[in-house]
Amino acid sequence: MQLFPRALNKLPVIAAVGLTGALVGVVFVFWYYFSPKNLQVGYAPIQPVPYSHRLHAGQLGIDCRYCHANIERSAHAMIPATQTCMGCHSVVKTDSARLANVRASWASGAPIEWVKVHKLPEHAFFDHSAHLAAGVGCSTCHGRIDQMDVVRLDKPISMGWCLECHRDPTPNLRPKDQITNMDWRPENAPPGWQPPAVNPPQHCSGCHR
Amino acid sequence: MKRQPYELANAEDGGAVFWKSLEEKRSSDGLQAMKEAEFPLGVSPDAAPFEGVADLASRPAAGDAASLLSDLSDGELPNGIVAQVSRRGFVKVGAAMTALLGLDGCVRRPVEKIAPYTRSPEYTIPGIPSHYATVVNQRGEALGLLVESHEGRPTKVEGNPDHPASKGAADLLAQASILDLYDPDRSTSPAQGGKAVKYEEFEKAFELLMETTEADAGAKMRVLAAPTNSPTFVRLRDQVRQRFSQARFHTWSAASDSNTREGARLAFGQPMHANYDYARARVIVSLDCDFLQTEPGAVRAMRSFADGRRLREPSDTMSRLYMVESTHSTTGANADHRLRVRARDVERYARLLAKELATAGLELGPVRGALGDASTDGIPDPWVKSVAKEILANRGRALIVVGTRQPARLHALAHALNAALGNVGQVVTYTQVVDVAEQDHASDLRQLALDMDSGKVDTLVILGGNPVYDAPGDVKFGDRLAKVKNTIHLSSRIDETSKACAWHVPLSHPFEAWGDQRSLDGTWSIQQPLIQPLRESKSELELLSLMVGGMMETGDKPRSGYDSVRDTLRQASRATIGFEKQWSTALSRGLLPGSASFAFTPSDVKSADIAAELAKAPAAKGAAGAGQVEVVFAVDSKMVDGRHANNPWLCELPDPMTKIVWDNAAYLSPKTAGELGVASGDVIELSREGASATIAAWVLPGHADGTITVALGWGRTAAGRYGNGRGFDVNRLRSVDALHFTDGVSVKSTGAKYELTQTQDHHSMEGRPVAIDATLDEYKATPNFPQYRTPSPRTLPLWNRRDYSQGHRWGMNVDLSACTGCNACVVACQSENNVATVGKEQVGRGREMLWLRVDRYFIGTDEADPKVAMQPLACVQCEEAPCENVCPVNATAHSPEGLNDMAYNRCIGTRYCANNCPYKVRRFNYLEFQGGEQVGGAPEALYGEMPEVRKLQFNPNVTVRMRGVMEKCTYCVQRIQEGKIASKRSGQPVRDGDITPACAQTCPANAITFGDLNDPTSRVTQAARRDRGYQLLSELGTHPRTTYLGKIRNPNTSPEWTKEKG
Repeated sequence: MQLFPRALNKLPVIAAVGLTGALVGVVFVFWYYFSPKNLQVGYAPIQPVPYSHRLHAGQLGIDCRYCHANIERSAHAMIPATQTCMGCHSVVKTDSARLANVRASWASGAPIEWVKVHKLPEHAFFDHSAHLAAGVGCSTCHGRIDQMDVVRLDKPISMGWCLECHRDPTPNLRPKDQITNMDWRPENAPPGWQPPAVNPPQHCSGCHR
Repeated sequence: MKRQPYELANAEDGGAVFWKSLEEKRSSDGLQAMKEAEFPLGVSPDAAPFEGVADLASRPAAGDAASLLSDLSDGELPNGIVAQVSRRGFVKVGAAMTALLGLDGCVRRPVEKIAPYTRSPEYTIPGIPSHYATVVNQRGEALGLLVESHEGRPTKVEGNPDHPASKGAADLLAQASILDLYDPDRSTSPAQGGKAVKYEEFEKAFELLMETTEADAGAKMRVLAAPTNSPTFVRLRDQVRQRFSQARFHTWSAASDSNTREGARLAFGQPMHANYDYARARVIVSLDCDFLQTEPGAVRAMRSFADGRRLREPSDTMSRLYMVESTHSTTGANADHRLRVRARDVERYARLLAKELATAGLELGPVRGALGDASTDGIPDPWVKSVAKEILANRGRALIVVGTRQPARLHALAHALNAALGNVGQVVTYTQVVDVAEQDHASDLRQLALDMDSGKVDTLVILGGNPVYDAPGDVKFGDRLAKVKNTIHLSSRIDETSKACAWHVPLSHPFEAWGDQRSLDGTWSIQQPLIQPLRESKSELELLSLMVGGMMETGDKPRSGYDSVRDTLRQASRATIGFEKQWSTALSRGLLPGSASFAFTPSDVKSADIAAELAKAPAAKGAAGAGQVEVVFAVDSKMVDGRHANNPWLCELPDPMTKIVWDNAAYLSPKTAGELGVASGDVIELSREGASATIAAWVLPGHADGTITVALGWGRTAAGRYGNGRGFDVNRLRSVDALHFTDGVSVKSTGAKYELTQTQDHHSMEGRPVAIDATLDEYKATPNFPQYRTPSPRTLPLWNRRDYSQGHRWGMNVDLSACTGCNACVVACQSENNVATVGKEQVGRGREMLWLRVDRYFIGTDEADPKVAMQPLACVQCEEAPCENVCPVNATAHSPEGLNDMAYNRCIGTRYCANNCPYKVRRFNYLEFQGGEQVGGAPEALYGEMPEVRKLQFNPNVTVRMRGVMEKCTYCVQRIQEGKIASKRSGQPVRDGDITPACAQTCPANAITFGDLNDPTSRVTQAARRDRGYQLLSELGTHPRTTYLGKIRNPNTSPEWTKEKG
């Protein structure tokens, strides 16, 4: 007696091929779409103060280092102190509702709790000063901040992405006086300027300690 | 010369030539099994540890390693442990985990906040640590420090290079003091009768008390304080005396150096500090003086001693150290010759030596006649004759130093000898003491106790210290304290004394309070705080100010610590203008320039007084009674007198000589142990004059016979979560007349066993001679002797070696001749690299995490009197690293600069690397040692939950490792990166000395050099090229970057010495 029809004889083969295909598909989906490039880029959380880089850095043309002072000396991002905001805003727009949190922080002494956008894992030690000293501009990693109203993660800042540049930094280098130039392009380089040999680390302890 | 094979263990010679413990020397089977097992038993946190090597050996299955391992693979662990996870359960959890792992990537990382400053503090750039110069009091020595502060949070202590007491180095206590600041068991507020109150309430009550006390000019008020080296303390005390003319001040420290002080008073008519220049001395005779570890001023002494023995080439000269001692101290381990005698026989030896010197023509005046007829029993003839001859041959460069433990008259005799030898001004200089009024501690404390007993005291203010715990037994301080009506105790925690006092006031840590101190050489330094008090605490100076109260000329408010210190300096400087400049210079440099002019030349030695004192107490001749031994109360190298008892770093730091952790023990020689019938781990009862104490025994090779050494500072009951109940309290055995050592102690074995955990057999080098030594003559004959004692590489490389000739090539060199084995580097490493402590039980399983260990080897076949070599050993950064080849996930890989990098986030914890490391320097996080969630519940409170406050100590530039991750020394790669980035910023190349790992930075002996081996001028290249340089286990072909310089000893080779010695 035949329990299964003859047509089912092909089932194991079909199942094997189908399942393999499905598995490859699933792996591909995870591998490609679940990378920081797709999951992290575009992250633009709402900040406690609706600060606009487009206005300050773009339209007003304030140099990055006016607020992010000492970024050429320290590893940290140097999110400015409330004091820096108040340096201007104690005379400019003193009653703007958008600045209420800044004034509250200044009055109470409690810090403004900005939401971190460019987040590295805790085992990665990034140093801003080293990159600026090498001639990597702000926009290389942060994108056109001067065109953002709300800061948005522009690059995946994953390990693979970091290593791309560490393996061949030359396309991303610029003269040191152009570091904060958001609009810089390699073709803008002064004639005869050669990217220096910066020799970035590619070994573990370069970033992991 | 043909290369010799290994000088390995040889049974015919009576055991190993190199051995770390008696068990190893006697080739215990159990120990062998433990060594071969690589990872000690049981990965489950519930498994019991090794219960001592002896116990393991007695187990039938543990006899050979093969059966031990087969036991493990059977799934049934030895020691009767049942594995708690079943196969089914394991697969279940494993499957669930695998399924969940896939989903892990889909979850967005949690929102993280950045909180910048509201108002930027001046000179603070987030991410760039600031360094402040300050000073700590190490038993009277003001050790100048630079403390690193990350955004206002002190994290790391280093020596101040400008300070003469430290010269950039720091000892293990200074290194560990940072953790005392973040002690979670510090008291948070004043307490009255055990009930927490606000500081204002205390202040009100205290001021009221002072006002009532004023009525009888403080006739019934006493103040008990620790000995001070602070001019401001002395000045404020004088002001308190002005207000309360009848009040009395007493001084007490259990780690008392009164003998040294009284000895100087006897010799010169006034107390003073003697400063010894060990670098210039050619012969040093140390009479029970552990000047390299526990004596005041050890950091300075270590640098100076090492400088006197630093050999660059065979033609250099070095000093010779003769050590006469009862215990086996670090200094004894560094001596060229050691004479093991009971502590009380040290004086007998000194008298014999002085007499011999006088006979040979040294002018000693009336002292000569008072030396008496000491018996030569147990003192070999050359120790008197040959040593005397050598001293006389080196007049002006022959130092005689005496330990604080020895009586004052012996110190006076040494002063007389040093003066007669013309050493003063050459290798001995003298400085004034800060507190001239200080009396002999023990008698001073007894006086106070008697007055308390007879009702003469109704107010007692205790400024620091812990007399209820550490007073000698016969003072009965605790009982008598109950008779005092008003008692106020200033202390960092509610300790034994605070519990017995009506009031407790939290004491500020030195990094939280202003103060000033003078070093032994007179250098005046400012103790500068780095942080506001974390608790509602006050310093001694602030409490004294409160006592001075309204008397202050400047108004009614008590002066702050800051004002008090400035007042003192202003009065001293006399300069009315320019004071602010002086002050800021003093703050930034850490000392007042030119203040070391405290020195003076003493008048002639008062020989008659010394003679009278020596004649009064003729040297003891009689032997101890049957069943009675001498007991020596030693200052502990880690706890001192118990003040650091709650410091887990120090608790877990292996003792320099015995390598015991988390406990103290009664040390005795193999012979005495045999006579008394006790073995290591047996609990013995010591009793004397009605007082008795139990303590575990430990057989220490090289200890003197007929005497037992017990360390102070352990057995605390109210120290805190880490220190309570650790070790044994022996203070009650002490008495005022026998403060440091005493005869006539009866010893009884209680029959009980106590598990002492030690690390001496962990990470065994299997008897290979890795700490290579030679005598000066051997060195002259064969300058490259270490290379001849290790075979040449036998392993052929499997691939072409990588080229490291470009860029940096980091390397380290350790001079074993300079290393004293003090352990400062170990704590510095722990502090810099966020290295966890694991607790006694885990150390027992061989799970200690210290990246850097100091191996102490006994050398020779004589168990009673072996030679000692110390060898600091961390990852040697092999160029051909065996660990890297076996890592399945490439978590450990080589950097182009030759560092053996560890990527913690990649490590999956196979532990293959540690298995394959011939140096055994890799450490595995078996549990969540740094806090966090504990799998299976915390077996010990120590690492259940990391208290929040302790996290403030972490170095932000180093990852805090989690469970299941392998870690090891990386040459402080965070400092290397910092140095390289700084050079990128400035555009200047990294210079030699710009980058210094924590161990090299703190080394008081300057034994460790670090730098770029590609730079031919760097110090490390110079050191590595020296003829006595060698690589550890070079025959394995690992090409380690850390090289060593062979240890050179300088034994007496004169015919009379060698002849008598046979």
